[in-house]
Amino acid sequence: MSKKKGQEKVFEIKWKTDLPYRYSIGKLAVKFFEELKENKKIMGSKCSKCGKVHSPPRAVCAECFIEMTVEDMIELSPRGTLEGFTVVNYPFTDPNTGGLRPFPYGYAIFKLDGADTYTMHFVDETDYTKLKVGQRVEAVFKEKREGNIGDILYYRVIKNED
Amino acid sequence: MDHFEGINFSELMCGIEAAPGYLKPVVKVATGGTTGSSLAICGYHNVASGIYNNVLVIGWEKLNEGGATTGIITAFDPVWERPSLAGALGPLALMAGMYSAKYGITAEQAAKVTVKNRSNAANNPFAHLQMPNITIDYVMSSQMISYPLRLHDCCPQSEGACALIYANEQETKKITDNPAWFHAVETAHYYTFGTDDKMYDLPTATIASKKAYKKAGIKNPVKDLDVAEIYEPTSWSELSWTEALGFCKPGEGGKLLDEGITQMSGEFPINPSGGVLSTNPIGATALVRVAEAATQVMGRGEKRQVPDVEKALAMGFGGSLWTEILILGKEPLR
Ligand SMILES: [Zn+2]
Repeated sequence: MSKKKGQEKVFEIKWKTDLPYRYSIGKLAVKFFEELKENKKIMGSKCSKCGKVHSPPRAVCAECFIEMTVEDMIELSPRGTLEGFTVVNYPFTDPNTGGLRPFPYGYAIFKLDGADTYTMHFVDETDYTKLKVGQRVEAVFKEKREGNIGDILYYRVIKNED
Repeated sequence: MDHFEGINFSELMCGIEAAPGYLKPVVKVATGGTTGSSLAICGYHNVASGIYNNVLVIGWEKLNEGGATTGIITAFDPVWERPSLAGALGPLALMAGMYSAKYGITAEQAAKVTVKNRSNAANNPFAHLQMPNITIDYVMSSQMISYPLRLHDCCPQSEGACALIYANEQETKKITDNPAWFHAVETAHYYTFGTDDKMYDLPTATIASKKAYKKAGIKNPVKDLDVAEIYEPTSWSELSWTEALGFCKPGEGGKLLDEGITQMSGEFPINPSGGVLSTNPIGATALVRVAEAATQVMGRGEKRQVPDVEKALAMGFGGSLWTEILILGKEPLR
């Protein structure tokens, strides 16, 4: 808090609170994280009516109101296209950790090959002049995976795609 | 709301020094960025339905008391979205970048929006940021916050409140001979899941405005409306939203601005109040748009008054890219 000359010291009570809670991610997300952890695979879900491929996997196709199950899950390519990007360059408290989110960091949305919807995640680039909509990208996986979205460390721009 | 934040601050709603809701029916409405326009629409429904004769609608925010970015992140999916999401500005930066890449809108055109709105704010004693001498260079040399958004492409964090009095036709006569009349209210949602679509062109604004124009008998919004107060969280969004609202064709938001049409002196001024780029107490922000539209219709805008306003549009924008549209008029819609 910035104090101007003559301004009295503000009386403050400071505290930190843990707020644990449970969140049900559903069967499709469980399968997604199992495949990610065990086999380095990225899975989506395909609507049996319109064929739309959802990435991340969703339990309902919003176009058709059709339910998708684990049987409707298909493997997607870890490669895709950069559809939009920014480089976040401001400080804030990360509610997932309670600490400062490290910055600057590249934040982007991607379309994985074979998917019809978009995926948001980190992109491994903090110089925005090096990023361009339409660039090809690929997922970089964590060596020791734990079964959460952090198992995909980030996407990186592919320089020379074979 | 994850943790029932503030839900039991009964002194806030019912205390003698706060809103006079004591022993009266009080409804709390919270829809994120659209909170103010949701409040405005709920107030309308409560009176237009005949349930209540008079309703007081209040929106407020004290952003100094918490981290807005942190709070906004908790509004999103904890598994897929929170880890990389950076509150509102990150996604707004993505949208601005995609919009710019698609239509060739320039950073200079975006900066011109900030200069327009903050110059307008100098005519509004209620506006937070008072920067009457702001220039395009000043905006374009401010710190890069989240490419392509620079500091002065972004709305501030404000503290503030806004209140509107609603009355039915009978009661209105007792209060004023110069009311603003509701012509249309609309709410549009679009995506089911985040990143279902890119949505940089705000489809909900197109859906909601088309419906509202039909209700209010508006064929050409730039000609048939006299002024608009839109919810532009960034300079880039104003350009994009003007397209989504049908004020110009897709890709022509920059051209509309360059032609001077949306300036105070133009055919169709946008944000005479200075807009969200000048004042952003989130829970009040969209209600301020409605209050400013009403102010224009009632001719009470003083230095920020647009001449001869018959019809005004107010827009709320928020959370999962919802849009709410309200159209007010000097005469009742018959
Ligand atoms: Zn479908």
